[in-house]
Amino acid sequence: MEETTCNFPGYEDFHYELGTLFSTYPPPFIYVRDPETSRTTSIVIDSILRNLSGASSVPTTTKIHYARVDCVSSFTARLIYESIINTLVGWEPTWQDGCGNWSSPQDIRWNDSLDSFIHGLRAAHAHLSQQKASTSTDKTNDGKVRFVIVVERAERLSDSLPELLVPFTRLAELARLDLSVVFLSQVEWEDIKPPLGASPDPYYMDIQSLSKEDIVRNLISNFPALSKISRSNSILQNIYHPSLKSLYAHFITILCDVCYPFTHNLQELQYIAAARWPGFRKPLLDEYKEQQRQMAADVEAARMRLNRLFNSTITTALDALLPRLTNAADWARDNEPPEGVFSLPRGQWQPQQQQQGLTVQQQDENMTNLPRISKFILIASFIASTNPPKSDLRMFGRGVDERKRKRRATKAAGKSKSGGPPKVAQRLVGPTPFVLDRMIAILGALLEDNDVESRLADRQLTIPGEHTDMEIARVGIFSSVMEQTSMRLLHRTTHADRLDGPPMFKCAISYDAATVLAKELKITLNDLLWDPIA
Amino acid sequence: MDFQNLDDISKTTYCIPYIPQGAQPDLTPKSFYEDRDLEDGRELRFEAYRVAWSKCLRRMQEIVHELQDASVKDVVKETRESYTNVLPGLPYPELPVITLTNLSLGATLLDKVSTNLEQDEHDTEEESFRCTTIHLYPGDVPTLAAGMRAIISGFVDKERMAEMVERKPTSSLANYDIKYLVAWYKSWAHEQGYSNLVIVLHDFEQFDTEVMQDIFYICSGQTSVLPLVFFLSMTSPLSNYLNITYPRATLSLLRVRNFSAPSGPQILQEILLKTFFDTNFQPDIMIGPAVLEYLQDYFTRFHPSVDAIFTVVHLVHLRHFSSEPLTVLVNDTPANQALSNTKASAFVDFLQKRIRISHRNNEDTNMGDDSISSTIEATNAIRKDFRRRMIDMKIGFQLIVLFQSFLEEQGYKGLDWSQSPEKREGLGRAMLLLLDDSLKKYVKQIGVFARKLKREELMIVLNRIYQFLHSLPIDISAAEQPAKLHNTSMRMEIKQSPDSEDVFDAASENFSGWIVGYISEKIKSLETCALWDIWYTGRSLFPAELINPSIRASLLAGLLRPHEFADDINENLAQRPDAESRTIRDLPDTSILFKRYLDSSKLINVYDWYESFKSVLDDQRQERLREVTASRNQSPRKKAKGKGKGKAKALSQPAAEMDLALEDDEKWDIRVQARFIRALHELDYLGFIKHSGRKKDHLMRTVFDIDNAE
Repeated sequence: MEETTCNFPGYEDFHYELGTLFSTYPPPFIYVRDPETSRTTSIVIDSILRNLSGASSVPTTTKIHYARVDCVSSFTARLIYESIINTLVGWEPTWQDGCGNWSSPQDIRWNDSLDSFIHGLRAAHAHLSQQKASTSTDKTNDGKVRFVIVVERAERLSDSLPELLVPFTRLAELARLDLSVVFLSQVEWEDIKPPLGASPDPYYMDIQSLSKEDIVRNLISNFPALSKISRSNSILQNIYHPSLKSLYAHFITILCDVCYPFTHNLQELQYIAAARWPGFRKPLLDEYKEQQRQMAADVEAARMRLNRLFNSTITTALDALLPRLTNAADWARDNEPPEGVFSLPRGQWQPQQQQQGLTVQQQDENMTNLPRISKFILIASFIASTNPPKSDLRMFGRGVDERKRKRRATKAAGKSKSGGPPKVAQRLVGPTPFVLDRMIAILGALLEDNDVESRLADRQLTIPGEHTDMEIARVGIFSSVMEQTSMRLLHRTTHADRLDGPPMFKCAISYDAATVLAKELKITLNDLLWDPIA
Repeated sequence: MDFQNLDDISKTTYCIPYIPQGAQPDLTPKSFYEDRDLEDGRELRFEAYRVAWSKCLRRMQEIVHELQDASVKDVVKETRESYTNVLPGLPYPELPVITLTNLSLGATLLDKVSTNLEQDEHDTEEESFRCTTIHLYPGDVPTLAAGMRAIISGFVDKERMAEMVERKPTSSLANYDIKYLVAWYKSWAHEQGYSNLVIVLHDFEQFDTEVMQDIFYICSGQTSVLPLVFFLSMTSPLSNYLNITYPRATLSLLRVRNFSAPSGPQILQEILLKTFFDTNFQPDIMIGPAVLEYLQDYFTRFHPSVDAIFTVVHLVHLRHFSSEPLTVLVNDTPANQALSNTKASAFVDFLQKRIRISHRNNEDTNMGDDSISSTIEATNAIRKDFRRRMIDMKIGFQLIVLFQSFLEEQGYKGLDWSQSPEKREGLGRAMLLLLDDSLKKYVKQIGVFARKLKREELMIVLNRIYQFLHSLPIDISAAEQPAKLHNTSMRMEIKQSPDSEDVFDAASENFSGWIVGYISEKIKSLETCALWDIWYTGRSLFPAELINPSIRASLLAGLLRPHEFADDINENLAQRPDAESRTIRDLPDTSILFKRYLDSSKLINVYDWYESFKSVLDDQRQERLREVTASRNQSPRKKAKGKGKGKAKALSQPAAEMDLALEDDEKWDIRVQARFIRALHELDYLGFIKHSGRKKDHLMRTVFDIDNAE
C-alpha cells in the first residue's frame, strides 16, 4: 500500500494504522476514543478517508465511499439515515426539486425504519457498484465498493437513540456489505456499551494527548493555509504574510511554552494564537512602516524584545479566552499594543491584566441597576440558602432587651471533633433550597435593620416593625421574586403548578455578587452568615 | 336556575357559582364633590383628561424612543456586520451571538431592533448588510426537534420564494433538518442576494439550556453556508450569564458580544427632566412633590422600568381629573352659555368664591363683577398666570442645574447634590426640593459661589447663561429681555477691562446679586397661584396601595371589615350604617369564623370553634325571625334596610329568609354545619390554617398578633 502523507504531526501512527485498515480489511466496528481533542481527530479521520476515497491515491481495487454523521446534529433516526445515505452516494438535496432525498433505482423509501435503511444501504451499494463498473476501464476491476460510516459524538447515540446503538455496531452483518462503522467518542466504550453483550467488541483505538512539540509543529503547519486566506500580497494587509512565517514559528513556541500546562487542545491554542498574533506582529510592522525597509536587521534582538513585551500578555489571553470570558476578536482589539511600543520605556505599556476584573466591574454596574428591593431579596435568599434553617432564630431573633447575635463560635477549619472527615463549609457545598416564607422573614429582618431610613415615611404605621411588616407582604416583593426567577438569579426548585405548600427556591448568585450587593446596601454580610468566611 | 344534583356520589366537588340577585350597585366612582359639578362634568373632564394625558404620554414616548435609538444603533450595526471583519486564523468559524440586556426600556426596544434590522440600509451600498429576522419565544422551543422546526419554518415561511416547490414529506429532508434550511438558503440567496439570518430569542433565560446547547452546536456547524446570527434578549443583570449557564464546549462555538440598554435612575431623571422640567414642553398637569417622591421611590425600589413611570403618571392624571370638578378648566373654560345654565350655578359659585379668595390674598382690589363673562375672563387670566409661573420655575431650575454642572465640570463640589452618574439621586432630589419650595438655601449658596468665581470661569458661566437664554422658545424668551440685556452688559464690562481687578470684583458682586435675585424671583412655589389645584397635583398623595398593595394587610382588612369593601362606594358616608352599630352577626360567615379564630390560642379545637360559630349564627337567626315577624305586620318593603351586604346578601332575600327562619331545627343544624365547613375551607385556602396532625380535632393558627380594633 502506498502511504499517504500525514499532515498532522503527532497523529502519524493513528493515521497509518487507520489508513491501512481502511484500505485493506477493515474490522466491521472500530471505536476511536479521544477524550480531549475529538474535533481534531475527526478532521484527521476525514482527511484519511478523503485521501482514500479520492480515486487516484488508492491503487486498490476497492473503491471507498464514506459518510460522517454527527449524533448531535442528527438527533432523530431519520436524520441519521438520510445523512448517511445521501452522503454515501454524494447526493445533495436542492430546494428546486423539493429537497428530495436520493432515490434508488427501485424507488424504495428508506428513511422510516432501520429495516428500510438497510435496504437503502444495499440499494446505494448496488448503485455505486454499478456506477463504478460502468466507469471503470480496467476490465479486471470487479467493481468492489466499500462503505465507511463515521459516527461522531457517538456517546450521544446511547442517550438520544439507544435503540440504534446495537444495529449500528452490527451494521456490516445486517447489511451483508463490505462496510465498516467507526465510532468516535469522548467516553469509553464500556460506558455506553449496550447490556447483555448485544454488540460485538470493537477494534479499539485510543488517541493519546499530543506532546508539546507535536502541538507546536501542528500549529506552525497551519501557517501556509492561513496565509492563503487573504488575497492581499502586502505585508501590512495580510496578517499571515508568508514572509512572517519564521516569526510565527517563534511566536507559537512562546505561546505553547506558556499555555501547554493548561490545555492540550489544539483548537484552543489556535484560538489564543489567533487573538494574540495580530498584536504580536504589530510592533515590527510599525517599525517597518516607519523605516520603509525590510525587517529589522537584528532579528534576534527584535525577538527578544517581543518576548519580553508579550510573554505576560499571553497569560492574560489564556485567562480570558480559555473560559471564553470574551471572544478572540474583541480581546485582540482591546489588547493591541500602542504605536511605537518598542520605543516606550520598560513597563510603560501595561496590557490589561485585569480582564477578569473588568467583567466583574461590568457585572457590578448591571447589578447596581437592580431595584433596591430585589437586591435585598437576593441577599436574603443568599443567606437563606447558606445558613441552616435552625440558625435563623439565633441570627435574626431579637430579645426584648438586647439584640446580641449569638453566632456559633468559629472553629478553625480542619479536623472535626469526632475525628471524622472535616465538614465542608456550606458556602462551598452550594446553595440549599429554602421555603419562600423563610426568605421573606429574613428579608423582613434585613429591611428592619437596614432600610428604615430610606423608605418613605408613613404616618399611619407607628408600631415598631409594623411598616416592615407591611413592606414584606407587598405585591411588589412577590412579583420581584418571580421576576428574579425568570432572570435565573433565583431557582425555583418546586414545580410551578404545585399549589400545595409553599414554593421553594434556591439562590443562584455567587458569594462575590452577594458581597457586592451587601456592600452597596451597607449590610455586613459576614455577620449574618452562620459559617462566616474568615 | 339550573340546580345541580348535590347528592351525586360520583363527584367529589361541586362548583356552585355565585349568582347575585337584585340590582347591582353602580360601581363607577363619582367625584366626591358631585354636588358642585357641571351637568356634563364627567364627560368634559374625561375629554380634558384625554387631551392632557395623550400630550404627556406622547412626550414621554418621544423621550423613550430617543433613549432607545441610542442603544439600538450599535446593536443593529453589530448584527449587520456579524460576518464581516472576522478575525483571521481562528480554528473554526464561530457562530455570532449578540446579547442585549434590557432592564428598563420595555419590550418595544426589541421591536425597534428588529424593524431597524429589516430595513434596507440605503446609506450603505454593501449587500452584505441585509438581515432577515425571526422571533422565537421560550414556548416555541420545548424540544430540540420543535426548536429546529420553529427556526427553519420561521425563515422558510417568512421569505416565500416566487416558485413554490412541490415537496414530498416522506421522501425528502425532514423539516427539522438544518440541511433543509441550507438548501432553502442557497436557492433564496441566489434569488434575493446575501442576507444574514437573525434569530431573535426573547426572554433567553427561560429557554431550556440543554436544548439551546444542541441548537447552538447544530447551527455553528453550518456557519460557512448559513449566515446565522443569534440575538438574545435578556434581562439578567449578570453580564456573564452565558458563562455561568452554558458549558465551555458550547461557549467555544460562539462569538458572544454583549450589549446593554441604559437602565437605572438616570432613565427616570431623563424622562422627568424632559417632561416636567423642560422649557420646551408644557405639560397640562404638573406633578407635585408627593407624587414625584413616590415615583422615585417606586422606581428605584420595585420597578425600574419605563412602564412603571408611565403607569404612575397615568394614574396621577386619572385621579386628578376624577376628583375635582374644577379640573375641567385645565385647558379652556366652558362657554358663557354652558355656565349660565342653572344646573351649573353651584360650579360657578364655587369658582367665583375661589377666585375671590385668591384675589383677596393678593390684595388685588381690582375685582371684576360677578357676571359669568368676567368669571370666564378671570379664569383665563389665572390660567395664563399659572402657565407663566410654571415656565419661570423651569427657567430658574434649569439655571441652577446649569450652574451646578458647570461647578462640577470645573472640579468643585458645588451644591450638595450632584448630577454625575455616580451620584444619580442628586438631580432627582433637587427636583423634589424645587417642588417642595426648599431650594432657597441652594440659591444662596449659588450666590456665594458666584462671588468666588475666577475671571475666566465667570466668563464661561455668563456665556452659558447667554446661550441658555437665547435657546428658549421665542414666546418664552421675549419676557426674558431684561435678563438678556443684563447678561450682555456684564460680559461687555468684563471684556472691556481685562486687567482691572476692581472692575472684575464689582462685576462678580453684581453677577452674584443678580443671579440670586433672578433665580429666587423665578422659583416660587406653585401653590401660591390662584386656583393652583387645577393644574398642579400639589401635596396630594399618590394612591400607592393601588399598584403595590400589601397582600397580607389587605386580606386581613378584608376579613375584619368586609363591609367597607363590599358596600356601595357611591353611597354617601352619612347614610352608611355606623361601623359601631354593626355587630358580629352582621358579618359574612368567613369573617365571623375569622374573628373567633383570632380569639383562640395557638391550637384551635375545631368543635369549640364550630360551637362559637353556631352561637353567632343562632343569634343571626333569632334576629331574622324577629325581622320577619315584624315585617309581616308592616309593609314588606321596609325590612331589608340596614342589613349586611356582600356574601350575607344572598341569604338576606325576603323569600329565602322567610323559609330560613321558619325551617325546623334539624335542618338548620345541617345548614350551619355546611356554612361552617365552607367558611373553614375558605380560611384554609387563604392560608390561615395549618394541619399539624399533632392533636386530634385541632388545627394550628398561622397568623398571630393582629391588631383587631373591634
